[in-house]
Amino acid sequence: MQNVVTYLIIFFTAIVMQAQTENTVNADAAPTKYQQGMRKAFQLWQEDKSWDAANVFERIASAEPDNWLPLYYVAQINVINSFTEKDATKLKAQLDKAQDFLNQATTLSKDNPDLLVLQAQLYTAWIVFDGQQYGMTYSAKASELYNKALALAPNNPRIILAKAEWDMGGAKYFGQSVEPYCKDIQRAIDLFATFKPAGEFYPTYGEERAKQIQAESCK
Amino acid sequence: MKIFTITFLAILLPFHFFGQNTVSGTVKDNNGTPIFGANVYLEGTYDGSTSDDNGMFSFETSETGTQTLTISYVSFEPFKLTDDVSKMKNLKIELREDVNSLETVTISAGSFSAGDNSKISVLKPLDIVTTASALGDFVGALQTLPGTTTVAEDGRLFVRGGDAGETQIFIDGIRVFTPYSPTTNNVPTRGRYSPFLFDGITFSTGGYSAEYGQALSSVLLLNTIDEPTQEKTDIGIMSVGGALGHTEKWEKSSLSLNASYINLAPYIAILPDRNDWQKPFETASGEAVFRQKIGDGLLKIYGAFDTSDFELTQEDINQPEGTRFKLNNKNFYTNASFSETLDNDWTLFAGGSYTYGNTKVGIDEADIKDVENSAHFKMKLNKRFSNRFKLNFGAEQFVTDFNENYNEPNFAAKLGFNNNISAAFTEADIIFSRKLALKLGVRGEYSELFQEFTISPRASFAYKTGKSSQLSLAYGDFFQQPENEILKFTDKVEAQHTQHYIMNYQYSANNRIFRAEVFRKQYSNLVSYNDEFPDVNTSFSNNGNGYAQGLDLFWRDNETLKNIDYWVSYSYLDTERKYRNYPIEATPSFANTHNLSLVAKYWINDWKSQIGFSYQFASGRPYTDLNKPGFLQEKTKSYNSLSLNWAYLISQQKILYVSVNNALATKNINGYQYANTPDANGNFARRALRPAADQFFFVGFFWTISDDGKDNQLDNL
Repeated sequence: MQNVVTYLIIFFTAIVMQAQTENTVNADAAPTKYQQGMRKAFQLWQEDKSWDAANVFERIASAEPDNWLPLYYVAQINVINSFTEKDATKLKAQLDKAQDFLNQATTLSKDNPDLLVLQAQLYTAWIVFDGQQYGMTYSAKASELYNKALALAPNNPRIILAKAEWDMGGAKYFGQSVEPYCKDIQRAIDLFATFKPAGEFYPTYGEERAKQIQAESCK
Repeated sequence: MKIFTITFLAILLPFHFFGQNTVSGTVKDNNGTPIFGANVYLEGTYDGSTSDDNGMFSFETSETGTQTLTISYVSFEPFKLTDDVSKMKNLKIELREDVNSLETVTISAGSFSAGDNSKISVLKPLDIVTTASALGDFVGALQTLPGTTTVAEDGRLFVRGGDAGETQIFIDGIRVFTPYSPTTNNVPTRGRYSPFLFDGITFSTGGYSAEYGQALSSVLLLNTIDEPTQEKTDIGIMSVGGALGHTEKWEKSSLSLNASYINLAPYIAILPDRNDWQKPFETASGEAVFRQKIGDGLLKIYGAFDTSDFELTQEDINQPEGTRFKLNNKNFYTNASFSETLDNDWTLFAGGSYTYGNTKVGIDEADIKDVENSAHFKMKLNKRFSNRFKLNFGAEQFVTDFNENYNEPNFAAKLGFNNNISAAFTEADIIFSRKLALKLGVRGEYSELFQEFTISPRASFAYKTGKSSQLSLAYGDFFQQPENEILKFTDKVEAQHTQHYIMNYQYSANNRIFRAEVFRKQYSNLVSYNDEFPDVNTSFSNNGNGYAQGLDLFWRDNETLKNIDYWVSYSYLDTERKYRNYPIEATPSFANTHNLSLVAKYWINDWKSQIGFSYQFASGRPYTDLNKPGFLQEKTKSYNSLSLNWAYLISQQKILYVSVNNALATKNINGYQYANTPDANGNFARRALRPAADQFFFVGFFWTISDDGKDNQLDNL
């Protein structure tokens, strides 16, 4: 039975971290403490020091109690790292921590499609950890979250990509055609070209991943 | 050396300039091992650092005055220190391990859990329904666990030398008074409730919490799903009937409905069994769960109705024409519960259930009509003082009103009783460390019928012996009133009593679980009587007693063999008792010495199929041979059954399911019936009690319709 859900593993690849755009809105003004902190965190993350980055994000979160972004990135780092963690105890602790930060972020920003997608990815991590135990319930929950996120942000390329990737995983496993989802991938790529994040340090990842999927599955 | 150097430099170098303060120190765990990667910062500021591989940290801050230093690291409790920043130097900080984490010891003596939330689950939700021999009956799946005895003709749970009435079933913490559909001799029953609506199952074979009473041997706790994942419709078409389920969700509430209809007539027409059915088994049932969020609370209302009907003539050695048996049962069960998290870590739970059971039985000329009205009310409060100390207390009331009308052509009788039991319980969970936990509880019960007060202390203790292993001990006193079949004749009896002593060892790592449990159960105050079949003139007493002791082993491995998940259960049981009309202490006919189950599931990816296999072995059970001196002195031959199933995923939402029970058609014998009178040679003739059919075949097609197009009913099979 555990393999019924291993298809979920196949399609889920760690989020491609992209360099956060350094184009500060007020490039001339001296950066605020917040900007300094966030830049430092992204820099650490790019240097492959993701745990140090998570610690910086956690500190920023404590200083910026009304901002969901640092909480979101703490949760995201814990989720991404759990996909490669082999020690079950550590893995569970990381996912619990991610859930805790995600919950805090959700109370600050309700119906946020990026948070919904991260929650779906967190469920996916549980499924990958123990498909037999979590597969059935969490895959249904994840599907529901992707639907909800897409309904909230029908033109957000990252959400379109995440949902299409999830659906393609299921179709691949059952030997069905992934063709119907390729047009979603194409649409995501088109939208990425003009995509503007809602604000500084907002998530921007996804374009490279979309192109990669298109190259691998939609030829 | 490095530590020394850095400390040395820290002392020598002047760090004070322009009001900059340096915060420094080391972080270790309680074993003195440095913690690498801990996040150290002043709360509400941007100032902080990460500890290095020696657990050391140091950072500068322009903050002054009183600040709160926070140190956090995954799987440890966060540490907070509020002080003047200038004093935060060379701190020596020891983080306490977070006892909520996975590594913490859990009290596991006596209980098996299945579900998402349990820290150590022996069965997973899917297992309840993908076990080959179970045919979708959760009781059938539990019978593959150690501690249960195979009593194939009955279908109920027989735990550690106890009879089926010694196990109580609770839904969302509220008692179910009539969990099984009534049936007749040699036709196994099934649990009434579909596994469809439950997401957590705990099966305790002894030593359970003070919250549960009126069970001598075992409790089975079923929890309904709090929040369904999505709207969907399930359709099942089976060789023996059909099923339809639907779930609807709203903003703060949801409703799940489930209906099924089973009729064995076509099956028996094709594959006749040993009974002569006038009206083959027919049952219709409906279940509904409604959930509503109210503030921080959750209200759940569960309702189930079912009606069963059949009539048959069974072979009987004393009646050449056979015994006529007719049954009509209507059962309604409803259960409502409300739970809410209150301020200051208090949790409130309140709930109640009502059962209406109406059974009409006809045996030859006699007509028996039973009506049972039962209710259970419960309220409990839970206070979490800290992660390490929790207190649980509550009170409950059981009410039963039972009436029976017995009619024969020349005789009629009315029997019945009212039974009220009041109970209160309290229990404390104390976690000393990740290694040591203790649960202490006590339960008091007052029976209005017997005017009797009983006190049951319960205690369990768990100690972690290694990274993946632990040892648990449990002790408890358990009381249960005699069953309806006794109470309808007399109230001059008392509660029956058991004491459990359990020692459990558990090893769990890398998708493998091993459990070994030794137990001793002491029975006292069992009801005994002087007639073969009790009636109004029978004299009853509480003189019975007995014991059960043995060893249960369980091994599950999902790792060693690719795509194969299997488990093995073995139980050794030594039990004797003197109760009912037993002339001497003897092993009852529902108990045996050796029980072995082997369950395996093989996933074949290329075929999109899961093949299930289940083998059960049970050594012979005692019976009385009237042609020899003695009582329950002989044993039947041992029981063997191999069951197979195959689930094929036609597409994501369509499943074809085929199963066969007892694939090898082993001729099993459940016992013997002897003639009432000897023949001319002074010999009592006998007849072997065999299952109505040696084998059972099942074919079903299951189709799920949901928005996401992904969900299927594999978890319901």
